[in-house]
Amino acid sequence: MSRATAIAVFGFSALFFFFFFLWPIGETVRGAFATPGQGFTLAYIFEVFRNPVYVEGLVNALILAIVSTALTLLIALPLALISDRSRFPGRTLLSALVLVPMILPPFVGAIGVRQILGQQGALNALLEALGLVDVAAPIDWLGQGRFWGVVIMNALHLYPVLFLNITASLSNVDPAMEEAAENLGCTGLRKFRRITLPLIMPGVFAGGAIVFIWAFTELGVPLMFEYTRVTPVQIFYGIRDISGNPFPYALVVVMLVSTVLLYAASRYVLGNSAHGMMPKATSQGGPRPLGTLAAWGCTAFFGGVTALALLPHLGVILAAFSSNWYGTILPSSWTLEHFEGALGHSLTLLSIQNSLKYASLATILDVVLGIGIAYVVTRTTLPGRGFLDAMAMLPLAVPGLVLAFGYLAMTQPGKTFEFLNPVVDPLAIIVIAYAVRRLPYVVRSVAAGLQQTSVTLEEAAQNLGASPLRALRRVTLPLILANILAGGLLAFSFAMLEVSDSLILAQRMKDYPITKAIFELYQLLGEGPYLACALGVWAMLFLAATVFAANLLLGKKLGGMFRL
Amino acid sequence: MIAISIEALTKRFGSQAALDDISLRIEPGELFFLLGPSGCGKTTLLRAIAGFVAPDTGRVLFDREDVTNLPPHKRRTGMMFQSYALWPHLSVARNVAFGLEEQGVPAPERERRVREALASVRMETYAERRIGQLSGGQQQRVALARALVVRPRALLLDEPLSNLDAKLRLEMRSEIRRVCKEFGLTAVYVTHDQKEALSVADRLAVMAEGRIAQIGRPEEVYRRPHSRLVAEFIGETNILRGEVVSRVGDEILVATRAGRFSALAAGALAASPGVNVLVSIRPEGWRISDANTERTVPATLRSTVYLGEFAQHEFAAGGEMLKVLELNPHLAHRVIGRQYYLEPLDAVILNDTP
Repeated sequence: MSRATAIAVFGFSALFFFFFFLWPIGETVRGAFATPGQGFTLAYIFEVFRNPVYVEGLVNALILAIVSTALTLLIALPLALISDRSRFPGRTLLSALVLVPMILPPFVGAIGVRQILGQQGALNALLEALGLVDVAAPIDWLGQGRFWGVVIMNALHLYPVLFLNITASLSNVDPAMEEAAENLGCTGLRKFRRITLPLIMPGVFAGGAIVFIWAFTELGVPLMFEYTRVTPVQIFYGIRDISGNPFPYALVVVMLVSTVLLYAASRYVLGNSAHGMMPKATSQGGPRPLGTLAAWGCTAFFGGVTALALLPHLGVILAAFSSNWYGTILPSSWTLEHFEGALGHSLTLLSIQNSLKYASLATILDVVLGIGIAYVVTRTTLPGRGFLDAMAMLPLAVPGLVLAFGYLAMTQPGKTFEFLNPVVDPLAIIVIAYAVRRLPYVVRSVAAGLQQTSVTLEEAAQNLGASPLRALRRVTLPLILANILAGGLLAFSFAMLEVSDSLILAQRMKDYPITKAIFELYQLLGEGPYLACALGVWAMLFLAATVFAANLLLGKKLGGMFRL
Repeated sequence: MIAISIEALTKRFGSQAALDDISLRIEPGELFFLLGPSGCGKTTLLRAIAGFVAPDTGRVLFDREDVTNLPPHKRRTGMMFQSYALWPHLSVARNVAFGLEEQGVPAPERERRVREALASVRMETYAERRIGQLSGGQQQRVALARALVVRPRALLLDEPLSNLDAKLRLEMRSEIRRVCKEFGLTAVYVTHDQKEALSVADRLAVMAEGRIAQIGRPEEVYRRPHSRLVAEFIGETNILRGEVVSRVGDEILVATRAGRFSALAAGALAASPGVNVLVSIRPEGWRISDANTERTVPATLRSTVYLGEFAQHEFAAGGEMLKVLELNPHLAHRVIGRQYYLEPLDAVILNDTP
């Protein structure tokens, strides 16, 4: 790539980010602080903290995030330690399966959790059958307002993020660090607390911050549990009168500021710990063999957590095949009707078409932008490339809800981007929204490939007469094809099941993508929920296939996609 | 001060024997080196002494105490790791204090001993620094202080200088020796750097393929190598094939293609007349002269590289190419293609059969 091309790529990417990342956020911020007469006011923000409904929403979102993060840590930390340190039966298989809960949409899984843990669900039916529970007074597992349902779904969905971050930190710890402690008389839990834990804190913080922000701003799961007294859901319902009401704006800004502060705080803590200069490990740590009992205990724990994480989706699958599942352990009768129904229903077929269209276009945009940005960042010396890199990673830290709201705000009648208004035609704005949110995965994947591919290969081609662009096309791109494909596949599959953008931006039924169709179907009475499940199963199959393919292409590096 | 005895120690990793029936004794207060190419088992042996490697068979004794089954944290050894393994989340002083905290040493005494330990490696002004702010040499000193402050029964060093640049390495070599002698410590030091071993060790063991090839004082091992492996691993040498002509006491007359000369039998080889042997002569073990005597062999100078304090020559002698090092080379330099006479001063008959 010549310098001129690099500058052009840089300029284009920067403009793209300016208009479709900074602008929507700016528009939201303006909505939160501007009076109808365009003056500045803090009244809306103050009002958010004075209105008991909003305060309750914020408090609930915060508690939800704290409890979800704590539960996630409780699952992920022992899991990571076991998987890094011990050899047990099924270790390879279970480690390979660890990402599966991550990629199954929690929003769909929530339906399954309700089927299983609801008052008339499978668990109560099982306990009744065992005579442990009174039929007349079933246990309310999900709790008042279904708070625990949301927490469980969040934790089961997000523990792989933390797991990957912690295992990455663990594998970076020089085994000699722990041996030095043992040599000086410190072993067991004491060693873990004094040496190992402080050394892996960066990983715990990085993963914990992602989980916290994710849970704090999660829209799909509380919506499916009808847990409405939480800020993201309040914002979602506030969108209906977005043009006249400043409070959704103010709420979004409060969420945004909280997440940015949290993100900055976690970076600060990470920066201060200054563990960056750890010397290279010299001795082989590796997993240690355990006694038979302990080894099978590890297998049971690891396998149990994985099975638990798949349970919601099992519930969805069962529901999709059942004609009646209410108050019984398993569905009382089985049918394939819903799958036909799901494919025959005008809403579902159209939504699959729409999702394919949105996701493909977004993926193409991501791959083009991603290659350009990754190349400029890794292979050129342009000033400001670090800034571009940071910019491309930022969508990871900004909640999808905030951006989706911003897109809606900036395309309102009378605004600069009115021509993209989703009520008129959502195609462009949804594609952009999907693309911006998934761009970090593509950039990271391609950049990893470029870093592993020597520049001299490209120089050799140039030396033999290929122009810089031709050398890029003929030598480098084929070499990093696996990375491009993997990044693209991830972008595609996440776009297919994107929730916030889809729910907020697709406003007419004929524009609904799959996720909004599932949401709408679930609201219908009668066979609606079963149709939603059937559609969900189609979506899960599809997602599992693409992520499996990405896993084959990227191998272990797939985990790197979910690290800060 | 303890003696460390290794008795018939064997350790296999899969089908590979990392330690193959090793026995040796390290005397109290001795600075003992384990030397060898990578993969020879020297680090495994050190880690077996520290307790991080459990041997398949054999015993490790500290004086008369059998520590073979004692876990590492109960062995009271001080270990220096190749990567230093300083904990980046603790300050210099906290790193050094760690072992004392584990022993439950009360705070006032702890602080005093940490100060003393840091002073003994000249790092007292860095106590509150973070590890990341230290240079490689400074980290090395802190690691040494951390190992010493607990008053270990023995100091174990795993290639402690391999991450330092050449100049610092020289400085730290003598520093480590000074500290070991000052504290009167039994120390086991692993390295693949023969210069380090020759210059610092009281005694050393050359290891290869999980076995000990030779044990001795540095000058013994250097000047009287028992095998081709030891001769070639430590320093450079010329290996010549020859046949024993006659033997008088230790002195043996050998006939090689380069000529006849007398050599010493270093090992236990039965060198009786008629036996084929290998002879090792170090490049600096030749004297170049212009006169032919019965102790010299004629040789033609083929090439020469001038290196200031010495010159490296290559001579052809009866079909052999000989590397010869000349100290303080003559001002009037040697002429390529001319015939000279070489007198072997330090020829050793190796145990290997040709």
